[in-house]
Amino acid sequence: MSTATPDTFDGPIIHAEDLWRTYEMGAEEIHALRGVTFEIQKGEYVAVMGPSGSGKSTLMNLIGCLDTPTSGIYVLRGKTVSEMDDDELAAIRNREIGFVFQTFNLLPRASALHNVELPLVYAGIPRDERIEKAKQALEMVDLGDRITHKPNELSGGQRQRVAVARALVMSPSILLADEPTGNLDTATGQDIMALFDRLKEAGHTIILVTHEREIADHARRTIKIRDGQIESDERRGAE
Amino acid sequence: MAFTEAIRIAFQSLRANKLRSFLTVLGILIGVSSVIAVVAITEGLDSYISNQVLELGSRSFRLQKGPDIITSHDEWREVMRRKRLDLRDLEALKASCTRCAEVGASVGTSGSAKRGRELAKGVRVTGITENISRIGAIRDLEQGRHLVQQDIDQSRRVAVIGPDLIDVLFGSVDPMGKEIDIDGHAVKVVGVTEAKGSVFGQSQDNFIWIPITTFQKLYGSRRSITIQAEAVSMERFEDAQDQVRLAMRNRRHLTYLKDDDFSIETGESIMDLWQTATRGIYVVTIVVTAISLLIGGIVVMNIMLVSVTERIQEIGVRKAMGARRRDIMRQFLVESVVLSGFGGFLGVLGAAGIALALGGVIGNMMSLDFSAPVRPWAVGLALAVSSVVGLVAGLYPASRAAALDPVEALRNE
Repeated sequence: MSTATPDTFDGPIIHAEDLWRTYEMGAEEIHALRGVTFEIQKGEYVAVMGPSGSGKSTLMNLIGCLDTPTSGIYVLRGKTVSEMDDDELAAIRNREIGFVFQTFNLLPRASALHNVELPLVYAGIPRDERIEKAKQALEMVDLGDRITHKPNELSGGQRQRVAVARALVMSPSILLADEPTGNLDTATGQDIMALFDRLKEAGHTIILVTHEREIADHARRTIKIRDGQIESDERRGAE
Repeated sequence: MAFTEAIRIAFQSLRANKLRSFLTVLGILIGVSSVIAVVAITEGLDSYISNQVLELGSRSFRLQKGPDIITSHDEWREVMRRKRLDLRDLEALKASCTRCAEVGASVGTSGSAKRGRELAKGVRVTGITENISRIGAIRDLEQGRHLVQQDIDQSRRVAVIGPDLIDVLFGSVDPMGKEIDIDGHAVKVVGVTEAKGSVFGQSQDNFIWIPITTFQKLYGSRRSITIQAEAVSMERFEDAQDQVRLAMRNRRHLTYLKDDDFSIETGESIMDLWQTATRGIYVVTIVVTAISLLIGGIVVMNIMLVSVTERIQEIGVRKAMGARRRDIMRQFLVESVVLSGFGGFLGVLGAAGIALALGGVIGNMMSLDFSAPVRPWAVGLALAVSSVVGLVAGLYPASRAAALDPVEALRNE
């Protein structure tokens, strides 16, 4: 495996080349992705858009290393993910990807602090250091005073901010957000998007999967997916 | 790595599902507590019985018509056909057993004793030779004197009585020299023994000793007597038995090929019998325990499968956060082991309760010191076995959890 670190690596964060993902439904083959090629540079803020059934979820799973392509090459920060086994994928997800889900996906019985600790646990970081880092991450999302609260004691926006803290605690290469405002009211959604804007300014690479135009507009680049292929890839603003 | 995390999650889910966890481990609880309780109680009985046997006297043995325990109808018929033992056998053995320090005899029946209007029923009336009180379990006197040789020789109508009879027949009256009526015959009380309490609910103090010759006058001489002998020393114990056996075979003119038509019983034979019974109890216990642990294990496996199904999304989240297969595997294995181990722990507590309660009941019944000790090794074994059950029961559910596809798992609602 490559020994590149965030400081020394200067190639593209993501290099995807002719990605295909085919599912077998009985005798039938369904091509969810049909040859997708793109690159994402460090510090970019990219929205992936597309209607349901377009293959954007499949693409998100591939980018997030939850799944591997049927064919094609996926290189994440210099490492060829498309050839990795389960355990290597788990390690990559742990170190390189910070997930933010539409339904937050926090562990209901665990405190905010423990939820944020979770990736650190699987990284094998000692307890004291874990707690220290998890606290810092929660402070970064302005939840330093809620660390002992369980998810059901927090509002929707607070839960999503806990999830963002959890996604950031390992300092991943990519923050991968799947409809992060889908379960929030408009005002709270705006708060979360403002947080993403701040993270972008701080230099994080963000990939936002959404079907809402307004949400996608926060990004500086929009990749539109339709029928398993890239329909358009537009950049705008000061880039 | 994530081991402490796994233990923490295990206890968390145990706490979150208290009733379910308790019901799940009931099978293991019952299995574990039954094995520990049975071991404790048999061990308690073991030490109790060996004490009793020691009291019988380790150098003494009994020659009787049939064995203490008859195990088949055929054996019973054979014993019934045997010749009875009588006082002539006693005299012959006295002469021929040089390795015997004492040879005595007794014969008994159940009778009733009366004094005035007071009546004692179910009294053990025993005719004895004067040396019986010195063979085996020694009974000291509270009052008066033991039977002496002249009492036997002259078939005197005298008696040594157990303390229970004092309570029933005499109350606060001094019994010495008073007459009592045994099944219609008057005898004079010359001695009272000390109290021994009861064994298995049976009083050891409700008896009358009279000279064996007097007994045969009162009740006839058709009953086979029990000859009791004591070897000169522990080393000569076997020799003494051999001498008695040989002398009896000569008297009965038994040829080389014929079996003994009498029985010799020692404390050892009682011990042997008890140990055979104990082995039986252990075998049954092990089978019962194995079955309940098997069922317990199946229940644990079932509930672990439920637990995995309930937490598919959690597993997806953990995998997304970087949990490897072995992390998930370990999490559910630890949970299963903790669950079963918890059952084992409750089982130990249950067993301690059962042993304490039963020990108390048995102790009361025998009005004796009786304790059923819960042994550390039994506790350790119980915990180890229940943990292994948890490990085995958890393997399949845990591997199913570990093999879940993260995409599928995350999509699960």
